[in-house]
Amino acid sequence: MSGRWHGVPRLLAGGDPGAGLAVMRIIGPVGSYRELGLQDHLCWVHGDRGDYRPHLGEFFRDGLGRGLRVAYLGSGDARMVRKLVGRVAGTGPLRSGKAVRVISFEEFYGAEEPVDPAAVTKRYDAATQEALADGYRGLRIGADMTDLVRAPDRQDAFARCEVLLERYSSRHPLSAMCGYRRELGDAVAQFACLHAAVPAGLTPFQVFACGDGAVGLLGEFDQACQSAFERALRRIEPAPGDSTLIFDLSQIQFMDHHALLSLDSYAETCPVPVVVRSAPPLVRRAARVLGLEHLGHLRPGDL
Amino acid sequence: MRTGAARGQVGHFHEAGFYSSDAEFRALIVPFAEEGIAAGEPVIIGYDDRKNALIRSWLTDLSAVTFPADSGVYATPTRAIAAYRRLFELHVAQGAGQIRITGELPNSGNGGMFDGWDRYEAAVNTVWQDFPVWGLCLYDTATAAPVVRDVVERTHPRIVSPSGVRRASDRFQVVADFEALPPVPDPLEQTSPMIELVDRSAAEARRALAQIGRGQVTDTILDDLLLGVSEAVSNALIHGRPPATVRIWAAPDRIVVSVHDQGRGPADPLAGLVPATGNAATLGLGLWLIHQLDIDVALKHADDGFTVRLRGATTTG
Repeated sequence: MSGRWHGVPRLLAGGDPGAGLAVMRIIGPVGSYRELGLQDHLCWVHGDRGDYRPHLGEFFRDGLGRGLRVAYLGSGDARMVRKLVGRVAGTGPLRSGKAVRVISFEEFYGAEEPVDPAAVTKRYDAATQEALADGYRGLRIGADMTDLVRAPDRQDAFARCEVLLERYSSRHPLSAMCGYRRELGDAVAQFACLHAAVPAGLTPFQVFACGDGAVGLLGEFDQACQSAFERALRRIEPAPGDSTLIFDLSQIQFMDHHALLSLDSYAETCPVPVVVRSAPPLVRRAARVLGLEHLGHLRPGDL
Repeated sequence: MRTGAARGQVGHFHEAGFYSSDAEFRALIVPFAEEGIAAGEPVIIGYDDRKNALIRSWLTDLSAVTFPADSGVYATPTRAIAAYRRLFELHVAQGAGQIRITGELPNSGNGGMFDGWDRYEAAVNTVWQDFPVWGLCLYDTATAAPVVRDVVERTHPRIVSPSGVRRASDRFQVVADFEALPPVPDPLEQTSPMIELVDRSAAEARRALAQIGRGQVTDTILDDLLLGVSEAVSNALIHGRPPATVRIWAAPDRIVVSVHDQGRGPADPLAGLVPATGNAATLGLGLWLIHQLDIDVALKHADDGFTVRLRGATTTG
């Protein structure tokens, strides 16, 4: 696993308030779906369901071992799904066990079109709180999102859901493995880049949530991925009640002037001031050379 | 209200003068500065320490004279254009009717490198046209190379002699027609490159450069080279004509990178010297950014295509 570990200094809901737990999340390209923690948000790309389900089984087995409630999010015959999950999770046929659940897509994503990302996030939150109330350490979700996002006109709303779930999982004990099949083609990358953990080589950059509410940028941002970056930015909104939106640039390996201008354009239209922080020397260099004349909308925390 | 030889002129009044002794230098610069001081015009003087000291001893009142302390103004032509524009904006905002500026650009005669400054001398005829500037560029004929004199005569519409005689330069070329000097080939370019990449992404070019350059030059210079190669490759892939070829050479404390495509390169003669606007903004901004870095940048238009050459060195920058 090549992802980076990010310490998120905050308290886990349900944890010991005196302990000050530092929750670790995997941020960056990963080579494996194993060893994911309580708040990891992984995009996993696969060939077909037969390829995906064994991985899902291991993901669930690991979650059960960590004291999490695991839930398969999917459509179809519930009995068949329960049997499958029971088999792959190694827990035997499931009858009424509360540790493993099957939740229909409709239950979380609703029947309305387009999907309402805020409402979806509330449902994820309710399920997470329920798991905590039932004595579990959190909730772990696995889902193959392919069929939901196949129609291009649905992709924007689902991408916004991924942004909100990434933010939610950075601050709550929700871990998720979102499966996307390769048959989606280039569309996969637009969802992958919104997860904290992604398979290596799938996207040159990632937009992830820092535990303190900042939006983290990771990887390489240049002209080749400018339109993809701008599309990702359009899906980011300040959290309700936040007076500023902070972008953390500490994990950027490279950023050219195209990406800096995209970020500045985003800041121009964002309803709250946009602050950038922790820029590496190369990004500070490019920003200084471009100057306020071109980057007048970003508030340079330390550029 | 403009005074002196520039009275009634609009925009940048760009003059050159040649001298071969301190006496001739004095004969050129003292009337220029004293007339400005008497008229209450800001006077900006930028020479080396020895000449600045001489000028200070010759002038009667230094209160209106500025000697830019920041020698970094002349680090690159693009930075000099931007820095002087800001200075001119300031003086105009303070009510200056004319700004007098005189200096000597880097060339082999004063220990500097003239590479790239030929385009600067051509460009300032246009890019300072918004300001009531009288620019007097003085060159030492005893030390400046013949090629420098050639460029000066082609980039200055007017020539003034130490005796005060003014004439139009019959060799003057407007910026659109200006024939820039071809970049002097770097000896490393005659050797086999460490790597050659054909039609590869900017990210691959950056990775190759980082691998070769790490430890060869400082991290600061390497960062500038990475920014430069990325912008140049992006431009070649989008605006150039394939194949786009990146070559990287390395020597102790020095890296040379060339990015070549078979297109004609930017048509704008000011490309890289000022931030482009409008449709050319994307291309122009990348080139403009490259030209402000602490690396040597050369643009070469040739029959076989367009080349951006970047050179970074730990010792000389």
